[in-house]
Amino acid sequence: MFKLSKLLTLLVLAGLLLAACGPQATPTEVMTEAPATEASSSSSSAPAQPAMCMGAQPGDQLTVMYQWSGAEEESFNAIVKPLLDACGIKLVAQTNRDMAVLDTAVKSTPPDVLFWPDLRPLKLYSDKLLALDSIGADKSNFASYWMDMGTTNGKWVAIPVKADVKSIIWYSPAQFQALGYQVPATFEDLQTLVDKMAADNNVPWSMGFNNGGAADGWSGTDFIQDILLATQGPDYVNGILSGKVAYNDQPVVDAYTLYHKWASDAKYTVGGADGTVNTKFLDAIHKVFSNPPEAMMVKQSGFAGGEIVKEFPNLKYGTDFDFFEFPGVKGVQGGADFMYAFGNSPAAQALVAYLTSKDGGKAWAAAGFGLSPNSGANGNYTDPQVAKLGDILANASGFTFDIGDGLGDPFATAEFKGVVDIVQGADIKATLDTIAQAQTETLNK
Amino acid sequence: MVPKIMKQGRLAPWLYLFPALLIMGLYIIYPTIGTIRLSLLNYNSTASAATTCTANQPCWGIFENYRYALTNSEMLTALRNNALWLLVMVPATVIIGLLFALLADRVRYESLAKAVIFMPVAISFIGAGIIWRFVYYIETGTGAQIGLLDAIISGFGGKPVAWLSNPATNNFALMAVGVWLWAGFCMTILSAAIKGVSAEMLEAARVDGATEFQVFWNIMLPTIMPSIVVVTTTMFIIILKIFDVVFVMTGGNFGTEVIANRMFNLIVTNAGRSTAIAVVLIALTIPIMIFNVDRFRKEEMAR
Amino acid sequence: MNAFQSLNKIFRRLPLHLAIIVMCLLWIIPTLGLFVTSFRSREAVRTSGWWSAFLPQPKVGLPEYTQYCASCHGADGRTIQTADLSDPDLVNQFPRAANLLVMLKQPVNGSSHLINPPLPADAKTALSTLAPIITYMQTLGGTNTQNQLTLNNYVDSLVGYKGTQDYSTDCQQKVPSTLAKYKCNISDLLNPEGMGAAFINTVLVSVPATLLVIIFAALAAYAFAWLDFPGRHWLFALLVGLQVIPLQMSLVPIAQLYVKLGLQSSFLGIWLFHVGFGLPYAIYLIRNFIGGLPRDVFESAYLDGASHWTAFRRLALPLAMPAIGALGIFQFIWVWNDFLVAKIFLNTHPVLTVQITNLLDPRGGNWHILTGAAFLSFIIPMVVFFAFQRSFVRGLLAGSVKG
Repeated sequence: MFKLSKLLTLLVLAGLLLAACGPQATPTEVMTEAPATEASSSSSSAPAQPAMCMGAQPGDQLTVMYQWSGAEEESFNAIVKPLLDACGIKLVAQTNRDMAVLDTAVKSTPPDVLFWPDLRPLKLYSDKLLALDSIGADKSNFASYWMDMGTTNGKWVAIPVKADVKSIIWYSPAQFQALGYQVPATFEDLQTLVDKMAADNNVPWSMGFNNGGAADGWSGTDFIQDILLATQGPDYVNGILSGKVAYNDQPVVDAYTLYHKWASDAKYTVGGADGTVNTKFLDAIHKVFSNPPEAMMVKQSGFAGGEIVKEFPNLKYGTDFDFFEFPGVKGVQGGADFMYAFGNSPAAQALVAYLTSKDGGKAWAAAGFGLSPNSGANGNYTDPQVAKLGDILANASGFTFDIGDGLGDPFATAEFKGVVDIVQGADIKATLDTIAQAQTETLNK
Repeated sequence: MVPKIMKQGRLAPWLYLFPALLIMGLYIIYPTIGTIRLSLLNYNSTASAATTCTANQPCWGIFENYRYALTNSEMLTALRNNALWLLVMVPATVIIGLLFALLADRVRYESLAKAVIFMPVAISFIGAGIIWRFVYYIETGTGAQIGLLDAIISGFGGKPVAWLSNPATNNFALMAVGVWLWAGFCMTILSAAIKGVSAEMLEAARVDGATEFQVFWNIMLPTIMPSIVVVTTTMFIIILKIFDVVFVMTGGNFGTEVIANRMFNLIVTNAGRSTAIAVVLIALTIPIMIFNVDRFRKEEMAR
Repeated sequence: MNAFQSLNKIFRRLPLHLAIIVMCLLWIIPTLGLFVTSFRSREAVRTSGWWSAFLPQPKVGLPEYTQYCASCHGADGRTIQTADLSDPDLVNQFPRAANLLVMLKQPVNGSSHLINPPLPADAKTALSTLAPIITYMQTLGGTNTQNQLTLNNYVDSLVGYKGTQDYSTDCQQKVPSTLAKYKCNISDLLNPEGMGAAFINTVLVSVPATLLVIIFAALAAYAFAWLDFPGRHWLFALLVGLQVIPLQMSLVPIAQLYVKLGLQSSFLGIWLFHVGFGLPYAIYLIRNFIGGLPRDVFESAYLDGASHWTAFRRLALPLAMPAIGALGIFQFIWVWNDFLVAKIFLNTHPVLTVQITNLLDPRGGNWHILTGAAFLSFIIPMVVFFAFQRSFVRGLLAGSVKG
């Protein structure tokens, strides 16, 4: 019996040893050899690093955090490879989609550079974020509305590196042709088409709120925002962000009324209200292109194209699936992955400078990793699908970002919850009054 | 009481306690004190909570976050749901656990049967979320029902039910997962207690002509009462803190919000409110704490 | 006891057996469903319930095919050589009814394609007639692999595959993006993005975190039970209270502290965190047990001149083994299944639960792989429970009935 305590001690020690000798941190390391210049062998002369390295030395470590994984992560690695190769920077990346994990990291060991698909870090960490122009970002390659979005109290801290167009509707051209439907040109045409489909007993829409885990109203509020862009335009939508327009204003009520009609009636959407709140948004995309299709159209961002071929590899872009711009929108709605900087090491500066440069935009476009708001990307897209999206983005008269993300909490939570409630039959006016109250509270914060 | 005969140095007890006290102080007590402080500050802990009051609205000054935690409509839903969870799940897990322990005690394949009921205890909540997705899934389009419950319902020609989004069913659907997860825990402890009841006593009562129910009620139940109390208080604490099941299954949507999920959702965006909710949660457990301390002292007296 | 009597006994006890078996079935069916699902393909998971793996396959589209196509193309689709309907390449050109309808309207060799019987004139009805025919042609061509059981979900999750097909197919076809990441041999099991590597990480986290709790808790529990010191009652009362504090409260303060100590993303850091939150219950459980041990055992030991340290090592520890075993199992399962703490404090070495969520793609796709991954994560806690079930029950009995 006396041996027991010894055994326990031994086991703990063994555990400690194992951990110490265990695999080294390898989330994703892209370690590349520094170019073998003569400088590296001679100690007297300074290494002849290219200018793009901003003084970063071979072996310098750069920590980044993003939500990408799999193919997306590979695309990102391809984009930054020229920089890492040229300077010998060692990239240590972490994939994380959890706000709580980001928050803990920022308050303890922030990554040098963060890529995040919304603007919440801008509000939450404005004091810790570095002004991008102070660490070598080139603002000349970006349209002014991109800059405005990422500026807080005159400090420019966020720039989108990747953008996605949300104001588009996916459909099957072959299906439309067989049934004699035309792509609508105006918002009125869209409403007429939807009613015609419903009259033909073809379900026009496929909608889904479920995020893979829980229901989340973002695909509903995206839809509302597109209706508002079509009926009112971008100034009105930005008015909601600035507080000029209250969220219970009449045109907003009208938009919700139309959306409620489409999203909660089984004649207009697959499964009616139950279908809208329970269907995963990925499945909502699939339902339009399955055999047989369950609906005619799905309003979803540019990423849907990739998801369609992933699920149905034998479908072809252009004949079996395609998209058109949400009819009648003045200005587009989009999403973006923003770049934030917490560290000002030479390696971090090099990455920020590279991704905001013309070359960076070009590399982004060549990788086919969504759209790049960087003007260097224009004309460099290789995939016709992405190029078509790029044209929509480049020709947009204005750009609006997600209202919920733009305003932040408690508005965002109230808005997401509100749209779910309305689809499930809550009183529209009363619900919007509650959201408007959250809007006031958010703006006063 | 400690026997007088045992000699000890004055420092000795603290040497035994030192590692545990140091680690608990660092990991639990120090952060908890910080929590109380943060609950009196604003959303990013830069100013007093009183500054978040809006004009013409009720205001509790420095306790403004507590006004949110105790009066906000979302929080009222959460408090109401937690009460419902406690009322339904504590008795449900304890009774089902006890019933199964009693039944399984009488058959030869007892350990196998108990292992089946206990199994969910060994499953992570991430895993449980994946498992139950295939039970509650509803197909609203033209495809086949791939969720077990709705497949059975439509097999009998019924209309599929949206278990997780329909306010009439969703809280109970989540509680069913909770019972599935925790009944095994109760069953294991109560089963052990039942085995501790002296067989002679039970046999004597039976010989005297007592019915099985009388044997249970008059002999078994009083003997295992201490274990039932332990199980009930443990379940009370577990369910008061319930978070995982709600978080993975509905995210607190459709009127299924609970206190701990609300706290988690606000941790990042509003530290003040989140910590105020945490303090409320801790306060709610004080009765259990007092009850436990009381029990401990009585036990010490009796020793 | 004759045969009649034993039959009679079984019959009388039938309701009892029935009740137990029904309850066991209720408990095991959800898990069984996931288990079956974990052997099904992505397409099958999406389109049919797991129980259909046990049912005869419905021949989707057979009646429609027989009515419209079989007379010319033959029952096996091979009659016309230039239009072999069992050829996957040909079938793939018409993925949906709409494509087929366009083709059917074009003349073949100068005459209309479909002669007898003609398709319904209404486009919508024609499409819904053609959709099942497409499915049937895919069955003929062997591209409809819906109901074959497969190990792909397990293999893919073990190596951490995130592509669009599956790992084995990619390796066979030598897909460049897969070859860049994998060697397509046994060493891929250690790929840091897979469940294999996560398995090792989880063991490295759980075992020491469990042993440390046992050691520290046993020491403290001995002091609470058999040593006298001021404030003993209050300290123990506090301990009871500490059990209810949610660990979310400690995340940010401890993360900040770890930066100062250089413990971020270290195994030591996560062990200590788990120990911190495991201790209150652990001390409570073990103290209840060793406090209830017979007093004269200890008294006679002291009379024989034993020190406290000897009494702790030679008496308390061995006698408390049932409680320690129970606690060990609880703590091990708890640490093994933890998600939040590992996600925040060990992000460079994902454990199983964290790796499962990493396997999901950013938009929540790849659900089928998760089924295999989830099962891989259940194996060890189940084995531990079955292996130690007996001591577990004994320990719980001792720990809880003392009140």
